[in-house]
Amino acid sequence: MFAAIAFMLWLLDISLDSERGFEQALSILQHPFAKLVTWGVLSALLYHLIAGVRHLVMDAGVGEGLESGKRGSQVVIVISVIVIVLLGVWIW
Amino acid sequence: MVTNVTNLSRSGLYDWMAQRVSAVVLALYTLFLLGYVVFNPGLGYEEWRGLFSQNWMRIFSLLTLVALSAHAWVGMWTISTDYLTPMAMGKWATTVRFLFQAACGLAMFVFFVWGVQILWGI
Repeated sequence: MFAAIAFMLWLLDISLDSERGFEQALSILQHPFAKLVTWGVLSALLYHLIAGVRHLVMDAGVGEGLESGKRGSQVVIVISVIVIVLLGVWIW
Repeated sequence: MVTNVTNLSRSGLYDWMAQRVSAVVLALYTLFLLGYVVFNPGLGYEEWRGLFSQNWMRIFSLLTLVALSAHAWVGMWTISTDYLTPMAMGKWATTVRFLFQAACGLAMFVFFVWGVQILWGI
């Protein structure tokens, strides 16, 4: 995530710097390897986000049992896979 | 073990709260920015710059930077005090953990200052 933050901050930096920088950021994001990195970064971030929401739900006292906890973790995996696939469709 | 001298607030409960509040801020910002780019396919420079020159967006972005710093610190602190322990790695554990935490703290500080420069440079 630390490397991901650096990558995203760098893109934000050049994209806001000037018109040329913005075009440059866009062309960097068009590169196949950069697309793969972006997909990886956003996948990690969104999986973290979805699993984090489960933590908040469990803080509220829902899904803390052995059975419901198991189901909750499966739900997180399923939703994450769907979101990550959609993300891939959007990027490519 | 005197590990809680390095935690964010010297209080587990406060750290717990800070981690959740910062999580909500980070989630809102992530979903907002992702939604913004997904629903603006032909996004141009002027529009992009315009978004980040709005006062509310600057405040939202700065809030997110602060939340990110706190969230990363609490998270890395928890991981390092859970796994970089004498039981896992022997007598050098404290040194290793200290260096790991110092590196994380330095990285987050650099990101924070860099982020402020980006936001204020517009």
